[in-house]
Amino acid sequence: MTSPAAELRGITKRFGAVVACDNVDLALQRGEIHGILGENGAGKSTLMKVLIGLVLPDAGAIRIDGEQRRIRDPAEAAELGIGMVHQHFSLVEPLTVWENVILGERTRLDAAAARRRVGEISERYGLAIDPDERISDLSAGLRQRVEIIKCLRRDPAIVILDEPTSVLTPGESEQLFEVLRLVVERENKAVALVSHKLDEVLAATDRITIMRAGAVVDRRETGDADAPGLARAMVGRPVSLRSAGAALGHIEGLEDGVAASEPEAGNGPEATGPPPVLSIRDARARGRDRRTLLDGLSLDVRPGEIVGVAGVEGNGQAALSDLLSSLLPLEGGTVRVRDERPLPGRPGAMAAAGVAVVPADRHESGCVLDMTVAENLTLVSPPRARTGRALLDSAGRAILDRTGRRAHAERLIEQFGIQTPGADAPMWSLSGGNQQRVVLARELSGDPAVLVAAQPTRGLDVGAIEYVSERLREAAADGVAVLLISTELEEVLDLADRIVVIFRGRIVGEMDRADLDVERLGLLMSGAQEAAAS
Amino acid sequence: MTGVDAGAGAGDVRYDRAREGATVLGIYLTSIAVALVVAALVLLATGGSWTSVLSALLDGSVRGPGRWGTTIGVAIPLLLVALGTIVNARAGLVNLGQEGQLFVGAAFGTYVATHIGAGGPGVLFLIMLAGVAGGAIWAGIAAVLRYQRRMPEVLTTLLLVFVASQAVGYGLKNKNLLLDPTPDQANRNLISERLRPDTRLPRLDWFGNEFPMTAFVALLMAVLVALVLRWTIVGFRLQMLGRGPRTAHRAGVSEARYGGLALVASGAFCGLAGAFMLAGGDFGNYRLTPNYPVNIGWEGLLVALVARNHPLVSIPVAFVFAGLRTGSGFLAATGVDRDITKVVQALLVLALLVPPAVLFVRNRRRALAAAAERV
Repeated sequence: MTSPAAELRGITKRFGAVVACDNVDLALQRGEIHGILGENGAGKSTLMKVLIGLVLPDAGAIRIDGEQRRIRDPAEAAELGIGMVHQHFSLVEPLTVWENVILGERTRLDAAAARRRVGEISERYGLAIDPDERISDLSAGLRQRVEIIKCLRRDPAIVILDEPTSVLTPGESEQLFEVLRLVVERENKAVALVSHKLDEVLAATDRITIMRAGAVVDRRETGDADAPGLARAMVGRPVSLRSAGAALGHIEGLEDGVAASEPEAGNGPEATGPPPVLSIRDARARGRDRRTLLDGLSLDVRPGEIVGVAGVEGNGQAALSDLLSSLLPLEGGTVRVRDERPLPGRPGAMAAAGVAVVPADRHESGCVLDMTVAENLTLVSPPRARTGRALLDSAGRAILDRTGRRAHAERLIEQFGIQTPGADAPMWSLSGGNQQRVVLARELSGDPAVLVAAQPTRGLDVGAIEYVSERLREAAADGVAVLLISTELEEVLDLADRIVVIFRGRIVGEMDRADLDVERLGLLMSGAQEAAAS
Repeated sequence: MTGVDAGAGAGDVRYDRAREGATVLGIYLTSIAVALVVAALVLLATGGSWTSVLSALLDGSVRGPGRWGTTIGVAIPLLLVALGTIVNARAGLVNLGQEGQLFVGAAFGTYVATHIGAGGPGVLFLIMLAGVAGGAIWAGIAAVLRYQRRMPEVLTTLLLVFVASQAVGYGLKNKNLLLDPTPDQANRNLISERLRPDTRLPRLDWFGNEFPMTAFVALLMAVLVALVLRWTIVGFRLQMLGRGPRTAHRAGVSEARYGGLALVASGAFCGLAGAFMLAGGDFGNYRLTPNYPVNIGWEGLLVALVARNHPLVSIPVAFVFAGLRTGSGFLAATGVDRDITKVVQALLVLALLVPPAVLFVRNRRRALAAAAERV
């Protein structure tokens, strides 16, 4: 057997007290797609960053084609024939496809040659794209094509893809895997596919390495692997696929589970159901750059139900969440919460009306990192709507009740199991999962009528995901109207009683969980309007 | 490589108050030691004696007879300016216009003092009020531009300094406004009438150290600001706005209302500092002159920076800055070249400014690492 295209031996990398990679071995063979599976935080990305030169390992060696190498930055990696498609796109939106592809090249600019090259690559791999299209006009799927073309234009021998499907529809994901198969079979390249989704690793790879807490826990040939076994290895304990489905991305398991669990989830939105507590009608909004964010979005959520907003990232999810966080004023349309009509965009209006929000970016609008845990647990105390006195809180006090706040905080820390050195510890000293618990605790402690959860489990580990999901279900059981906005389809399928699909700032389709049809959902998400009519 | 540094911060999730305090102290001591060594080297290289320079600085600021009083007199406006700056900075805004706000406050005070034609505590109070109004209005212009027209307050406050100096300069050329109407000297010197003795701030004399009683007002203000920031709803909201504007907005903190409040308050403090300088007697002999603020506004900004936006810490810091100022008057007697003494002075200021900058960068990096999510 020839030496592997890339071989990592004993890679160890520490960040402070955290061991991201602990003596990890990995070999990427030519002509193979190698799946690297693990939860968020298992060390997959760090390992790949070592290979691409973005992270210098504390210990360990890298061999490329049998020769030991030091890779100190991505440029060196590129010279050795290693290319990576990152999870987050790094494209310049106002520029065209071909301009983005040659960006960073140091040779003389030759537009015609660059266009030709993009054409060649897209032809060779079946990545159809117009080189003169502007990036800002492209969908997420097409943007990723540009990233892949960027990576392939140097004809790398080793291609790394980091969570490539997180912004793709199921259909787009399948196309991507076809391209990868082509790359491997026709050109004998080595491909590393980093993912936390079981189904795609099972479907697309030849060999799987499973990581947990920085170490390799198992290696399998894909042919010998099955979903429950992989899930167990990944999480470190047996998991029911039904409850872990959201975390692990195993859609088939969910579909089976739906039918079984339907009776207990029970009452979908019958025509005779209770009146909605949250009603958005024909909401229209544009961003500061005049781009349309919401384009006639209408939505109802009834008490006690979880409505999941599915959709590919960038179709108005952020705007919807901002709208319900009083951060986005509307150009048209209304928002009604119970009997009130909070003025969109007015500071604190939504919170005062009873809308709790767990935002997608908790650091931006969910918590204040430089304040203490106790302070973060009491942030929302909107002043009385009508008096509007700047000096008083909702109870009409001018002086902070610091003792009361502390007691309140300690109660919530206990109740929500927040791991913190104390109520006075700064928020930044908490882990992501615990920060999320703080946000959740604060929002739920205000007795909300509506709970908006946007990407509530992004970046959390499995334990935290289970916890958050459980809390959302409990809130719904207590009669809160829950709006779950997520780009992880599995999460929506796992939690929602009713699913609506958002596309280009409007709701284009809706289905009960009882009539779940993943294929139709995928079509709706990709904007195929005809499907909505059926 | 930055990735590694950020990572090290991310792993360091423990929070240790004692170690934190030791680190801060260590950074300050190192910085001051380095500055002293460099200053000594500079003096040696130019043939001066660093011991005599240090001795002169101390004589001028605290050791000489009555020098405590002089230094306190300078520290008062520095402290007030710093307090305003702190309120503003805690709300996440950058006010660079202290010098101008102070000047306008002093001018308003002068106008009231010279036009009212009476004296007594009531009039004195009116002068102070006019100073507050002047500073508040000047900062208010920046606030309106910021929240009505989205113009960054960093630029507007700074540029308004130059407008202020031109505007007050105009007032000082006009007999109906600020210019001293006494016939013979008026047209040559751009100065105002002197404040009547009964509109001046009472001065105390403690152990031969003479200073205006506003020293206690300034101290009281520092305590007040500390209490408001720590214990009141409005203080909490201001700081929420400063540290997480989007979160604050969602929680009902109107940026325009609270941010505007902070800017105007900052200006009001500067205006009050101007009025105190005018009626206090340590600056300009009770009359307004061109270039009246003599950098007190800028230095007050530095005081807030060095005090890392803590109102109570800014009390000793203001005193130290005042001491550097009053002490430098005695440096001429050491025979060291004036330019060199300025270098020494600047080195000491720099030594106080470097640690806050280091700490700021460190905290920022830590916050960024936390934000970038742990690995």
